[in-house]
Amino acid sequence: MIAVENLVKRFGAFTAVDGVSITVAPGQIHGFLGPNGAGKTTSIRMIAGLLRPDAGRILVNGHDLAREPESAKAALGFIPDRPFIYDKLTAGEFLQFHGGLYGMDGGDTAARITEMLEIFELGRWQHELVESFSHGMKQRLVMSAAFLHRPTAVLVDEPMVGLDPRGARLIKDIFRLMAARGVAILMSTHTLEVAQEMCDLISIILKGKIIAHGTVADVRAMAGTPDEELTPVFLKLTGGGALQEIDEIV
Amino acid sequence: MNTASVVRPFPYLLLPTWWASRNRARRREKGDLTRGLLFGGIGLAVIAALFAGAFWVTWQAAGYDELGDYLIRIGLSWLFLTFLSFLAFSAVVASLSTFFLSDDLRLLLVAPVAPRRLFLARFARTLGQAGWMVVVFLVPVLAGIGFAKCAPWSFTGTVIITVIPFVIIPVALGSAVTLLLVNVFPARRARDILMFMGLVFATSLVLLLRFLQPERLLRVESMPEVTAFFATLQSPLTPLLPSFWAGEALFAGVQGGSDWFHMAALWTTAAAMVVLVGAAFERWHFAGFSKSQEARKARFARFHGLAAVARVLPLSPVRRHLLVKDVKVFLRDVSQWSQLLLLVALMLVYLYNFRVLDLDRLPYMSGVVKNLYAFLNLAMAAFVMATVAVRFVFPAVSAEGAAFWIIRTAPISLRDFLWSKFWSGLVPVLVLSEVLIVAGNELLGVDPFLKRMSAVAIAFMAFALVGLATGLGARYPRFAADNPSQVAGSYGGVAFMIVAVLFILVMVGLLGWPSSVYLFNQVRRRPLTDVQQVMFYACFATAAALSLATWLLGMRTGVRALEAMDRTPA
Repeated sequence: MIAVENLVKRFGAFTAVDGVSITVAPGQIHGFLGPNGAGKTTSIRMIAGLLRPDAGRILVNGHDLAREPESAKAALGFIPDRPFIYDKLTAGEFLQFHGGLYGMDGGDTAARITEMLEIFELGRWQHELVESFSHGMKQRLVMSAAFLHRPTAVLVDEPMVGLDPRGARLIKDIFRLMAARGVAILMSTHTLEVAQEMCDLISIILKGKIIAHGTVADVRAMAGTPDEELTPVFLKLTGGGALQEIDEIV
Repeated sequence: MNTASVVRPFPYLLLPTWWASRNRARRREKGDLTRGLLFGGIGLAVIAALFAGAFWVTWQAAGYDELGDYLIRIGLSWLFLTFLSFLAFSAVVASLSTFFLSDDLRLLLVAPVAPRRLFLARFARTLGQAGWMVVVFLVPVLAGIGFAKCAPWSFTGTVIITVIPFVIIPVALGSAVTLLLVNVFPARRARDILMFMGLVFATSLVLLLRFLQPERLLRVESMPEVTAFFATLQSPLTPLLPSFWAGEALFAGVQGGSDWFHMAALWTTAAAMVVLVGAAFERWHFAGFSKSQEARKARFARFHGLAAVARVLPLSPVRRHLLVKDVKVFLRDVSQWSQLLLLVALMLVYLYNFRVLDLDRLPYMSGVVKNLYAFLNLAMAAFVMATVAVRFVFPAVSAEGAAFWIIRTAPISLRDFLWSKFWSGLVPVLVLSEVLIVAGNELLGVDPFLKRMSAVAIAFMAFALVGLATGLGARYPRFAADNPSQVAGSYGGVAFMIVAVLFILVMVGLLGWPSSVYLFNQVRRRPLTDVQQVMFYACFATAAALSLATWLLGMRTGVRALEAMDRTPA
């Protein structure tokens, strides 16, 4: 479970995240939507422990990230939008090191690594250097690392970037499977179709504040467009009216 | 996942570095062997020279009995004092990267790693990065001293147990300073400040050492000056510094004894520093790291002067925009432009050497030696130019990095792109080399013919070397490199240096022979014979043709390589 309460982050005079609260229950996929620069990645990075919030509280699996950072992080898997992977390590070595960071040291580690690489269709690349991987392959490797230690909560920042349709399908299936096993997934995305298709709940953030929250149907109703797809709803809520002017400019 | 099971000793966090080095060694790249042999050979030569130098100086000092011992003792303390300050500065810069800016921190900080273990792992990395060069320099020097003083084998052990805490103390201090700075400034701004401070420090050190005129100490008649010289380096604070403790401990060791008091001072201080800095890290690191994630403001964002100057230049709009972009990127990267400071310092030292050259002590030979020095000056200026070209011009294409797709997809020819890189590299290199040649020859007072010839020759060589560097930089680009130094040290960079050195030697030969014939005949007041005249012009024409060919062929190679490139980084 992930619980975020009144999260605030300021950069100088600019408030990037302003009182954000989100709760993701076990087995739930929660979509975190918003236009560019709305505060999604800043919020996700605070929950991951990469940025210090100026105010607010973050609980992962009941552990306060500020007070028990190791316990909270041990329960969390993180898939960043721009992942870092050691270029000169092989995929297998990277997962071995990553598992070690999360305390995996038993004889089943090698089997688990092979299993994850097979799930993410990277099995035959296990002994290849990461530097030779495509962006999509790196993305899948990071995802296999995030799920390697069997986390109870997973944070995902833009999961579909750089993935081909087959890869995207694979990721959707895996996320659903993990959610069915009780993993709480908080996923920031621009791909509204993905949010519509996968998320049990969505939160829309604009200028650092949550402006809409609920199921897709709830948000549609909130926008006063109950029968529409999510894209026009999103544009209406986030001030996409400016798009109408594009016609005149172009 | 159980938290208790996550506890791992800190060396585990160093595993990726070890694995990556192992993988790199297993999968050799083209040119690795050449580069290894070249740099390894240079390294061994430097180590041998340090050993021989330390041996010789100690041997000489040992001839003065008690005064000699005094000099060795103070010399050791002074040597360690120099390294102490170098290590502290080096640690400040290294720890900024290892503790705050390194990419893998984003991986480690989201993992359940205890701050203390993260600190120890990053501190070990800082220690390695900041201290390896000092250790490599210190070991041959101390070995030279030990051999010259016929020290017992136990001296080896004394060296090890002295150098380790000696390196730890300034590195811990440097890390603490970084921690403080990053919590005051954003990390990326702190890096700029530190890079600049470090370069100013290095520059002043170079200038100070040169203007102290250490060559005076080599004269036998100046022995009283030696004691005065060292005495000026002593101060009441000196005994409180770890450099003094290390010097004392080693001086005792070299005589077969042991100085447990100063050794204990070194180890207890080192341990206390690690504990204190570790505690400070646990308290303030995350706040500093968090700050380091903030974007910094661009310098020269409203720098309209540059665009105005560029508009006046006779350049096509494409070349003008490329030039403005290159200059702005250069000025915003402190690690780039601050190195020019060091270069200027080295130039000043170089020219100062000519000024203090006391050639009048050789009354009958001074004219010949001066003209000989003019050729030495030409060769030296050309070598400086080659070094500057490999560091600043060769990486020009690689510097486009992942943004090179913009050039590839824009409606501009790659020839235009590369020639723009050439001209923006040529102007500063040409100015620098002409200053070196003209000022050097003026200070030497060489023959007017040589002055003119050198000034023209260096201009030809500038075109050739900058053309070659630009062309080979395009032929062997390293778009994925982290910084220009990495590009300069790549296979292509080494290949450029080899070709450049050969070119310079051939050029000096081609210019030297006819010039010496001319000067020889001038001294004898004899005109050149017909054959000599033909050879005279043939040599100069060959030198000019060689320069033009190197320039144009280098550029053509680069343009063709860019056009044939099948992959564009993005």
